[in-house]
Parts: sequence; structure tokens; C-alpha cells
Amino acid sequence: MLQLLEAIENSALPTFIRESPSLFAYTLVLSLHAMGLAVVVGLSTAIALRLLGVAAQVPLAPLGPLFRVMYAGFWVNALSGLGLLAANATGMLANPLFYVKIAFVVGGVLVMRLLRNNVFNTSLAAGGSVPESARKLAMASLGCWGAAIIAGRLTAYPYLIEYYFGL
Amino acid sequence: METLTEWMSIGWLAEFVNDYDWVWPICEIFHFLGMTLLIGTVGFLDLRILGFIKAVPIASLEKLIPVGVMGFVFNFVTGFIFVAGNPSGGPGAYLANTAFQLKMVLILIAGANLLAYYVLGVARAAEAVPVGGDAEPAAKVVAVVSLIAWFGVIYFGRMVMYNDTLLYAFGL
Repeated sequence: MLQLLEAIENSALPTFIRESPSLFAYTLVLSLHAMGLAVVVGLSTAIALRLLGVAAQVPLAPLGPLFRVMYAGFWVNALSGLGLLAANATGMLANPLFYVKIAFVVGGVLVMRLLRNNVFNTSLAAGGSVPESARKLAMASLGCWGAAIIAGRLTAYPYLIEYYFGL
Repeated sequence: METLTEWMSIGWLAEFVNDYDWVWPICEIFHFLGMTLLIGTVGFLDLRILGFIKAVPIASLEKLIPVGVMGFVFNFVTGFIFVAGNPSGGPGAYLANTAFQLKMVLILIAGANLLAYYVLGVARAAEAVPVGGDAEPAAKVVAVVSLIAWFGVIYFGRMVMYNDTLLYAFGL
């Protein structure tokens, strides 16, 4: 397994991402990862807050197309994340926080899917009040993305996690 | 620059950051959360002004701006802690960092842009745009400047730790 991960790390593209001094290597992939995060989590948060009653003047029914933008942000991050992972496969896959992060990202995407398919396609189209199920999904969205950001940031501090949590 | 470095050198804050190893990562977490609040709200308004989801009234999206301002406040406070409490090189290291300087310039541009939106009557005209209607060119310019500036802020924010890469690329 370790040999496989090392082989991935040392293959051409991951090596380029990690070691090239070009602005189109590591720093671009890293920046794209932050920008995609801002888009998918930012818009998810705006929608969740609206479902929970913030800026109640914003009509919910027309917001469906926003999910295309959110998915675009997500795919930027899936690809840039894959690049960052391949460039440091041995380090990342030995990092317990990485798995926690991925679990919450999967949760966030599932909630995004449920919101798109079950809330923004049907129940809200007619207008009126926000159903309880949609409010729960909104809270789940805030929780999953918030936790994904916390865990994602903490992957950079494995020694702190080991020290404080023994992981 | 020296005056600014001196002014930003706050002993107790630097000690606090130095003494407790969790302060920095927690500030980073809030810096990222604040970024999502800012982009999610301001970016949403910008998209509508540019003609995306025209069924949403521009005035209603402006009600999200306080959330974005809250995100900015998170980031201002945590960013101040990064600079004033920088354990390696103090505030001077940040203030002399090209990526950081470009980030600050872009934040000032984004701020001036927002001010122009509200002060120059662009917002009033945009709020009057009917549902399904197109915003005026002036509002679209503000929206484009906003998106470029804020995503530029993210880019140069990430580049602060890789300033050498930036300088190398420009042959400096």
C-alpha cells in the first residue's frame, strides 16, 4: 500500500504539483481549493441561512439554478483536492483528520443533493412557509460544511491533534 | 512601514499566540468561515446583478450583506491576530510580504467599490430593477470589480505563505 502511494506521489503530475516553482503548480491548486470552497460552502450557507429565516425577503422558488454554481465549486474542489492528495498521498492518508474531513464533505454534498431534489424542486415552488424538513437540512448543511472546514484546516496540524486528542 | 510595524507590535498578543499553540489554527478556521460568509453573500448579490437568477429582487439580496460584513469582521479580527501575533518575524514580515500587500490593496479596492455602490446611487438604481429585469451597466461594473477583488483576495491570501514563489515568477 505504502509503495503504491509513494509511486503515485512520485509520478509526473503529482511531482510537478509539489515541486515546480511555477505559479501554475502547487500554489494554483491550493488557491483553487480555497476558491471552490468559498463558492460551494458560501452559497450553501447563504441558502441555509435563508431557509432558517435570514433575509426572508429573498424568494426561495427561483434559487434552483444556484445549485449549478455550487456544484461547479464542488467539482473545482474535488479535482484540486485530488491533485493535492496525489502530491502528498502518504502524508494525507496517514492523517486521521483527513478522513474526518472527507466524511463531512460527503455529508455536505448529500445534504446539498437532498436540498436540490427534495426542497427546491417541489415544496417551495408554490411559495409559503419553509417546511420543517427543509429547516433540518439547512442545519445539517451548516453543520457538515462547518465541520469539514474545521477538520480540513486541522489536517495541517497533525502534531497538535496527536498532542491534544491522541489521534 | 516602520511606524506601522511598531504600531502593530502588540506584546501581549504576540505572547498569547506564542504561548498557546491552538490559537493560530483556531484563527485560521474562523478566517475560512468568515471567507465563506463573505463570498456566499456578496458573491450571490454580484451574480444576480450580472443577470443570474433574475427572478430574485436585488433589494432582497442586499439583506444578506450584513452576514457578509460579519464574515469580514471575523476575518479582520483573525487577520489582525495573524499579523500582530506572527511568531516568525512579527508584523514586519507580513507588511513586507508582496502577496500580503497585494491582498490588502484588493481589500481596499473591494471596500471602495462597495462604498461607491451605496454612495453613488448605484444601489438605489439597482434596487429599483424589477423582478426579471436587467441591472444597469454601472451596477454590473461594481459586481465584476467585487468578484475579481474578492477572489483575488483569496488568491493572494493563499500566496502569503508562498511569497517566494510569487517573487520568483516575476523574476524578483
